[in-house]
Amino acid sequence: MKRTGLEVQSATVMALFLRELRTRFGEYRLGYVWAVLEPVFHIGLTLVLFGVLMSRVMPDISYPVFLINGVVPWLLFSSVATRSLNAIEANSGLFSYRPVKPIDTLIARSWVESLIFGQVYIVLTVLMWALGDPIRLDDLPLLIVSLLLLLLFSFGFGLVLMIVGDMSKEIAKVVTLALKPLYFVSGIMFSLHSIPEQYHPYILWNPVVHAIELARHAVFHQYDAQHVSLGYLAVSALVMLFVGLVLYRHREEAMLTT
Amino acid sequence: MIELHNLSKSYRTPKGRHHVFRDLNLVIPSGKSVGLIGHNGAGKSTLLRIMGGIDRPDSGRVITDKTISWPVALAGGFQGSMTGRENVKFVCRIYSRKENIARKLNFIEEFAEIGKYFDMPVKSYSSGMRSRLAFGLSMAFDFDYYLIDEVTAVGDAAFKAKSAALMAQKREQANFIMVSHSLGSLKQFCDVAVLLDRQGAHYFENIDEAIETYLSHEVDKKPA
Repeated sequence: MKRTGLEVQSATVMALFLRELRTRFGEYRLGYVWAVLEPVFHIGLTLVLFGVLMSRVMPDISYPVFLINGVVPWLLFSSVATRSLNAIEANSGLFSYRPVKPIDTLIARSWVESLIFGQVYIVLTVLMWALGDPIRLDDLPLLIVSLLLLLLFSFGFGLVLMIVGDMSKEIAKVVTLALKPLYFVSGIMFSLHSIPEQYHPYILWNPVVHAIELARHAVFHQYDAQHVSLGYLAVSALVMLFVGLVLYRHREEAMLTT
Repeated sequence: MIELHNLSKSYRTPKGRHHVFRDLNLVIPSGKSVGLIGHNGAGKSTLLRIMGGIDRPDSGRVITDKTISWPVALAGGFQGSMTGRENVKFVCRIYSRKENIARKLNFIEEFAEIGKYFDMPVKSYSSGMRSRLAFGLSMAFDFDYYLIDEVTAVGDAAFKAKSAALMAQKREQANFIMVSHSLGSLKQFCDVAVLLDRQGAHYFENIDEAIETYLSHEVDKKPA
């Protein structure tokens, strides 16, 4: 009996997901643990540097929580984006297997990244709690919705990058370079209300800022989120996803043409 | 049945576009195995891959409702750091239902006869072991059509005999789309043929006729 298209696709995504985990982390002794430990070390170091040594404090929110809710969403966004850029090239050997479509490789990769950074988020939060930091989850649904919307946005953006990266190597390079400065204007190290209001428009076009500020507001309700909007984040995510899917429909054949 | 409708394929080269074929129209009738014949660079492999849905034409369509394999004994999809078992399991997950995977893995392990290497990284394999694994993988699935691009038997006499027997057995239930420089194996496995030359593609209802035409052209081209 023939399997339905959906069955074939979900089996393919699952196979790619397991393969991705295996090839990225299977060779290390600690295996998958490394996937989580790596970003935890990265963020831990930043925390020590800024939180302890420079003893920065934030009004209304504990500094580690502020930083975790900035860095982790950003890393999710930027790793989905950068991994999309070379998704075609890295998986080119697999397109000889007909059921494997470019979008499947992207779904699998985004899934791996979400899993990693979801765990990183939990590990860091628990760690901070164990170290005596006041951890709260004032609005868990808002936190989950914000992060899921960010994931959708990243996936849509990733689709666009995959297509663009496949068309031109040069553009891929430029995008990688452009992502770096974006780090500094995405509200990861600073809080939106430390910025004078007249400069807000230069920052608020970026949906990542909205996701990050909303996440902070979700864990600490006193942390003010009046300038960001869930609606804007949702619309950006849906528009980006739509644009990505439309482009993909047009370019899928071309991506599979040698 | 496989229907090729107005197929064109070209590549960009530094010297301008190179057209492999233009507006190719063909119908491969059901139950016929087809051999693709032509000189090196005539576009046999490209046509094979397009018919199999792996590569895409510039324009035109391939219309079929049959299942078509990946190129038999293809090892390009193997990931060196993964073991043989993991690599073939990946393909099994894509092509078969969950409940059949274990049976297929058993078949491949037994067929490939690479012993403990089956659970070692593929990068530690010799090229012969890779081909054995890849060939076993292809034979573990039932397709309507198998894409066979220059598959040469590897291994010792016993293994070659085993492979040949399995190919012949597959040929009874399925059809081949085949590229080979061995005219003997084309004759053995194929019914019809497509001859590719500079004028384009010609369909022959009889493989022998195609081979004769091909050989006579060959003679014509030799300097007197």
